[in-house]
Amino acid sequence: MPASLLLSVSLKYWQDFQDTLAKVMDANIYIFDINGGSFSRFSREVELCRKVNEGGKICNEKCIRFYKDIFGSLEDKGTFTCPYGMRLYAYRLGTYAQNIGFLIIAPTRISPRVDSEEENTFVTKAHSIYQTINEVLKAILEKSLLGLRRLELGSIYEISRLLTSTVELDKVMDLITNSLIIIYKAELAFVGLHEGGKIRIAQAKGDYGHLLIGKQWPMAQPLMEKFFSKVEPSFLSIDELRTLPGLADLKVDSANKIMFYPLWSSVGAVGLLGIVFSPESIDDSAARNLQIYANFAAIALANAKLVSRLEREAETDFLTGFFNKRALRNILANELERKIRYGTPLAVIFLDIDNFKCYNDTFGHVAGDVVLQKTAEIIKNSIRTVDIAGRYGGEEFVIILPGTKEEGAVAVAERIRKSIETYPFPHCKVTASLGIALAKNSDSVDSLLKRADQSLYQAKKQGKNHFCLAPS
Amino acid sequence: MNGLVEKKIKRYENLLGEIWTASEKYLGTFSVKLLVERVVWDLSQEYREIELLHFDESGISCAEIAASMKKNPELSVDDMFMKFIARYVEILARLIGHEKTEKIAKKLNKEFGNIPFNSKEE
Repeated sequence: MPASLLLSVSLKYWQDFQDTLAKVMDANIYIFDINGGSFSRFSREVELCRKVNEGGKICNEKCIRFYKDIFGSLEDKGTFTCPYGMRLYAYRLGTYAQNIGFLIIAPTRISPRVDSEEENTFVTKAHSIYQTINEVLKAILEKSLLGLRRLELGSIYEISRLLTSTVELDKVMDLITNSLIIIYKAELAFVGLHEGGKIRIAQAKGDYGHLLIGKQWPMAQPLMEKFFSKVEPSFLSIDELRTLPGLADLKVDSANKIMFYPLWSSVGAVGLLGIVFSPESIDDSAARNLQIYANFAAIALANAKLVSRLEREAETDFLTGFFNKRALRNILANELERKIRYGTPLAVIFLDIDNFKCYNDTFGHVAGDVVLQKTAEIIKNSIRTVDIAGRYGGEEFVIILPGTKEEGAVAVAERIRKSIETYPFPHCKVTASLGIALAKNSDSVDSLLKRADQSLYQAKKQGKNHFCLAPS
Repeated sequence: MNGLVEKKIKRYENLLGEIWTASEKYLGTFSVKLLVERVVWDLSQEYREIELLHFDESGISCAEIAASMKKNPELSVDDMFMKFIARYVEILARLIGHEKTEKIAKKLNKEFGNIPFNSKEE
């Protein structure tokens, strides 16, 4: 329960309640916050108090000093006499563990002589008032905290729902950083991804979030090594934060706290969650919930890594590292769309290694695999970075040449044919036949590949180690 | 409740609806809902009536606040909504940046006149 919570109790409603209670109990009541500052006004008009403290709040220097002194030494409750002779009863508000303010109860009349019976009656009355006020205050504060917990639970539920439905890393990171800013009024919240020996800040929200996005911090950086040497979060000083690459000029309020959560999953360190916040916005319970956000971020990052690896594997030919048939067909469909939309030329080459079955049967599958790998390497070295090559199946390769006309496609086909012919493959010479087709606006993936395949067949018919161009 | 107050509340309802739609574009429905909930929670310490604000994916309704005015005609509707907007904008600016927040403010100011849309301070 943060000490400043007393400030979140509505004074307007509180004063009404306090005044009614004071009237019923015929006592003067007023409350101070934990720092000894006035929270509520006097409930009853006491002539002496009104004379020295105008406006119903403590403003007289002597009184201010007096109250500061008694609150400093007050353990639970006590009876005191104010500098102007008023007898009053002081109570500590809150729980044993957490002080949230101080309550003063005083008689409404000053009697020169008070007998013990009268005093005892007032003590009993004051104690009842204290119990009522303390319980009501605690209930208000609990209700207020419950409201905050409800917000936390709502956002945690939504994040968990996203995690189980699909892997939407960007959405999860967005929701986590948004939640930290909204619920805890964090000044800054960010998520970094562990990529290639570095932490790259992928999402950052807050007053200077835009300054962080894209920043990269090597894992070998001393501060990073410190964070990832443990599973618990680390607190940072502003000076420490500024030692991270790219943050030297970062302006952070010196009263704020900075916390870094290393994100661990079963596959190791997957990232980092950082939050900068004012100390009163996060209590112990919120700090525990922050760990839940960190755990969710870790799961989301681990899932995303796994899915991205699976996606990569699902479209890659294991032997050559080229795209496989499925990926090639998808890419070709996109390139055909682009060709139609922008009117740019598109060529496709179908390549088949000549007499590959015979090579395989004679020299074995391992030798056959080497030929496939070397052929892939030759193709890769013969095309531009914008061209796409893949293994279509068996000893067949497809090369997609965006923006390429007949002359360019012919040059590429001849370059590849010649490179294969002259490459010193083990055991014997290897050649390949190639069929070229230029895409038409009416083409589908199948029709374009079919024409390239028919040209390849023509090249084979012409004696292999040739290329042929499909008629336009 | 006189017609003037009713009109005033309707105007605030429209304004909040526009703010919701404009923020949704940048934050998504869930975060906007969370933000409204946060500000309602915050402000309810001071104005209990704000808890009567109804909001979901289909929009914001102030109908219950308007109805409560019959019981509590002294409620300072302007203060309550102005504080709501100021607190909302303060957090919104942290989420989407001051530049985008100002853009939203500019558009809404054209439609609704002066609203406390200073995203840099409450």
